Amino acid sequence: MAVLTRGAYADAGTSLDFKTGNWRSTDMPAHVHAAAPCHAACPAGEDQQAWFALLQQHDPKGAWCELVSANPLPAITGRVCPHPCETACNRAALEGALAIHNVERWLGDQAVAQGWAYPVAPPAVDAPVVAIVGAGPAGLSAAYHCLRQGLRAEIFEALPEAGGLLRSGIPATRLPRDVLDAELARLLALPGITLNLRARLGRDVTLEGLRASHAAVLLGPGCQEGKEWSVRGAVPTDLHEGLALLRKFMDVGAFPPGDRVVVHGGGNTAMDLCRLMKRAGAAQVTLVTASGLPGPDTDPSDRINVVPRELEEALEEGIEIIPHASINRLIMKGSKVTGVEIVSLRKFTGKDGHSERVSFGGTERVLPVDLVIPCVGERVSPEGLEAVIQGGYLAPEDIWGRLPQDGVFAVGDARGDRGTVAQAIGDGRRAAMAAAAMIAGTGAPPLAERPTIPASALNPVYYPPSRRTLVPVLPVAERGFETEIEGDIGTAAAMAEAARCLSCGNCLACDNCWTFCPDNAVIKTAELARDGSHYVFDLDYCKGCGLCAQECPTGYIQMLPETL
Amino acid sequence: MTDDTRLSALRQKFGRPPAAPDEPATKAATATEAATEAATARTRQPRFEGLVSGHRACQGCGEALAARLVMEASGPDVMVANATGCLEVFTTPWPQSAWRVPWIHSLFENAPAVASGMEAAMKAKGRNTKVLAFGGDGGTYDIGFQALSGMLERYHNILYICYDNEAYMNTGVQRSSSTPHAAATTTSPAGKDRMGKRHLKKDLLSIIAAHHIPYAASASVAFPQDLQRKVRYAMGIEGPTFIVVHSPCPLGWKHASALTIEVARRAVECGLFPLVELERGSLSNIMPIRHLRPVTDYLQLQGRFSHLFDKDDPRAERERDHLQALADYNIAAFGLAGEGGDDAADTGGHAAVGRGGPIAGRV
Ligand SMILES: Cc1cc2nc3c(=O)[nH]c(=O)nc-3n(C[C@H](O)[C@H](O)[C@H](O)COP(=O)(O)OP(=O)(O)OC[C@H]3O[C@@H](n4cnc5c(N)ncnc54)[C@H](O)[C@@H]3O)c2cc1C
Ligand SMILES: Cc1ncc(C[n+]2csc(CCOP(=O)(O)OP(=O)(O)O)c2C)c(N)n1
Ligand code: SF4
Ligand code: SF4
Ligand code: SF4
Ligand SMILES: [Mg+2]
Repeated sequence: MAVLTRGAYADAGTSLDFKTGNWRSTDMPAHVHAAAPCHAACPAGEDQQAWFALLQQHDPKGAWCELVSANPLPAITGRVCPHPCETACNRAALEGALAIHNVERWLGDQAVAQGWAYPVAPPAVDAPVVAIVGAGPAGLSAAYHCLRQGLRAEIFEALPEAGGLLRSGIPATRLPRDVLDAELARLLALPGITLNLRARLGRDVTLEGLRASHAAVLLGPGCQEGKEWSVRGAVPTDLHEGLALLRKFMDVGAFPPGDRVVVHGGGNTAMDLCRLMKRAGAAQVTLVTASGLPGPDTDPSDRINVVPRELEEALEEGIEIIPHASINRLIMKGSKVTGVEIVSLRKFTGKDGHSERVSFGGTERVLPVDLVIPCVGERVSPEGLEAVIQGGYLAPEDIWGRLPQDGVFAVGDARGDRGTVAQAIGDGRRAAMAAAAMIAGTGAPPLAERPTIPASALNPVYYPPSRRTLVPVLPVAERGFETEIEGDIGTAAAMAEAARCLSCGNCLACDNCWTFCPDNAVIKTAELARDGSHYVFDLDYCKGCGLCAQECPTGYIQMLPETL
Repeated sequence: MTDDTRLSALRQKFGRPPAAPDEPATKAATATEAATEAATARTRQPRFEGLVSGHRACQGCGEALAARLVMEASGPDVMVANATGCLEVFTTPWPQSAWRVPWIHSLFENAPAVASGMEAAMKAKGRNTKVLAFGGDGGTYDIGFQALSGMLERYHNILYICYDNEAYMNTGVQRSSSTPHAAATTTSPAGKDRMGKRHLKKDLLSIIAAHHIPYAASASVAFPQDLQRKVRYAMGIEGPTFIVVHSPCPLGWKHASALTIEVARRAVECGLFPLVELERGSLSNIMPIRHLRPVTDYLQLQGRFSHLFDKDDPRAERERDHLQALADYNIAAFGLAGEGGDDAADTGGHAAVGRGGPIAGRV
């Protein structure tokens, strides 16, 4: 029997003796893990590319674990987040962004259904305890990340239930209460977290008291107080502030009477209120907002600040939106309002960065109304926070939430520069990290900033065409006050959607570099590669042609100046 | 220049000490680790590497890549007759060889004849080892053509691979009968008298197919799964088979070494290099072009066509249009425009990848 040469080995006397690596002139290939745009855009700090990669390996549990290393509440954010990740997704330049929020939600639901354990170890019995005020998403995330930092967390919540605005603000049609309850219960059951309900800062505990008894204090009280609203001094007697009205509706299930309603504002509260009132029977609901509607030319800072699909659904449901407008005058009959005068306006940003609203004379028109509802924002209720509040908010110094008082941090809406659940979750994580660093005496944690990879740095020819999965949505006629409007993506479609991920900036284990290197200078270290750890460059032979970098679909290979 | 002065000149140029051929690599700690890891892993690559590193092909050489891909799909039970040309020269600088299979260097003109003898010898010894014959386009379209025709006519059990880089590269870029129309070479320079090569690229595949052999195909380095499927198919056939592989030459075509695959891909996607298969002289398969692109997308990447983009030369536009017409002719003649099916085993028309490697061929 003839003995054949098998595999890629060669003995002395072959060309392997000749190291062509010294032919490289200036650049050598290197693996560079840049940030995927979805990750860079995620306020909660998730690395979607990383968890999609695990889904591509048919490991949903691993994907969920990777996801919750940043965001412990995916079933919730998958339902309510305005998903800036999808807006940033590089696949938008091909056939459409990944349906990230649908898959995130599916993973969150899977974890609840399957009882997957959070990837946290119980903290030591004598671990330092951090006090957290408020059990909204910011406080809950902070508590969870304290555990991940090896600390204990004690939460003080004024209300009888945890959840903050997730419970008291966001309607069940968008966030079913059983989903909310299930995910929160799992988080709160983690050993190391203590939750004190009906414990109000300012009444039951004080900031100074908490500072004395705990290793650090994280403040996440949200914004509970509606801002005053009046038009040139006129305040109707039957004025209802938006968030209060919404909360009341959540409790008693009814709105004040009125057939023609005008809502003034441009955020989630305004949008939810419009839709609920329409469903509750108002004949005509109009939203007057100073912002613009999303469009190809809309400046992001001008775009109405609501979840994109909520806006679409609202339009479907017959909500009328008057963009770039404000209420100029109330037309009163006695102390009751009967009409509003609307005027067109635009926001302009001045040289100093401050925006200014300019209304355009001659565009005034009058709408007859029965009810005007302001939804112009809320601020922090000062109770118990007198020492730290500044201009209505807690306004910390930096992204870590540090307040001037030693060991006190502010997170979530209360900061005054936030407004989404994902931002609150990101704040909770950062503040927990900063608190842990402070307790350990190591200063601020390092900021791991990686450059973000743009679509132009990918080589798209290798991605098979694939359209975005569309999930079922409840028809307008069937939308009520309980049933969830957006449907579940389902296992098969979630996995198919994950396969669409381009793996921006991180190795896809596609073998292209290994296949295309004319000098066999790319070596595989595993028979079946899963990620970038399974390829190495053999710089003894690499001639520096740059082919691998050019044909790498994901931009994971870059030609960099020689370092040898 | 002594070795020492040469080395120090290189050091000055590149700002680092290049290892001499026989010098053990001296590297920084991490690089050493990387090199050690690579060196150990190199002996256990999950593929057959019949052509190993250390060969002297230029940076980004399409021919070196094509040959390795062919060896991977055909080896290890093969032996090779290799005509004179770049492939022969850069793989076998005495006393080294990059080949891991029995390999014979023939003359420029007679690789098919030498391969015929090798095949007859194998037959006489009762061995099944498949004989491969390799030649460049010069060695195949031109000087070895007669020997090749004889090999096909005598019906030897040989797979002949032509590495088509569209000129005599090893001797410094002279035109061959495979050089495309209007390409500049040292013997068809662009200038006052003519716009590069006056004549057309020879339709060799039709001539080969006219020998009524079982299988003749064209392939491209830009579509490695398709190329390797064709090699495996030919390996399974008892009798003469032929594959011409489009293999860009960064030096001769004058494009950046990183663009070898991009150039090859565009040649296919514009229709100038159709990927087709012919069995017993009849067209049996084509690779559909999903996204047709204009020939200028292909031409503009290459210096050998740069005269076609001279704004002041009225002939430039005419020649560009001529090449577009040639591409359109191919597209119509072979019916190249189309989508292709979505059969996972079908490599046609895409080089799509997913986690874990190419998608084509996955079940
Ligand atoms: C109607 C509505 C719809 C929304 N829709 C969306 C959406 O679709 N997507 C999205 O991303 N965001 C949405 N938001 C915004 C989002 O809900 C908030 O950004 C987020 O909840 C802020 O989290 P937080 O933890 O900072 O504050 P909160 O959620 O407000 O939680 C604060 C918690 O602190 C408690 N607390 C307050 N004061 C004290 C005290 N003195 N002592 C003890 N406890 C105290 C409160 O009771 C509360 O539980 C919406 C908001 C509203 C009002
Ligand atoms: C009879 C003969 N004439 C000329 C030469 C010189 N010669 C060696 S290689 C070569 C060109 C090879 O061109 P091609 O076959 O296209 O291969 P490439 O180098 O382009 O890969 C020539 C002309 C030779 N070796 N023998
Ligand atoms: S394709 Fe994947 S990695 Fe790239 S931005 Fe979209 S989700 Fe993120
Ligand atoms: S393809 Fe190979 S030789 Fe070229 S730069 Fe990459 S590793 Fe080096
Ligand atoms: S070419 Fe493929 S395998 Fe190689 S680094 Fe890029 S993504 Fe990873
Ligand atoms: Mg040639």
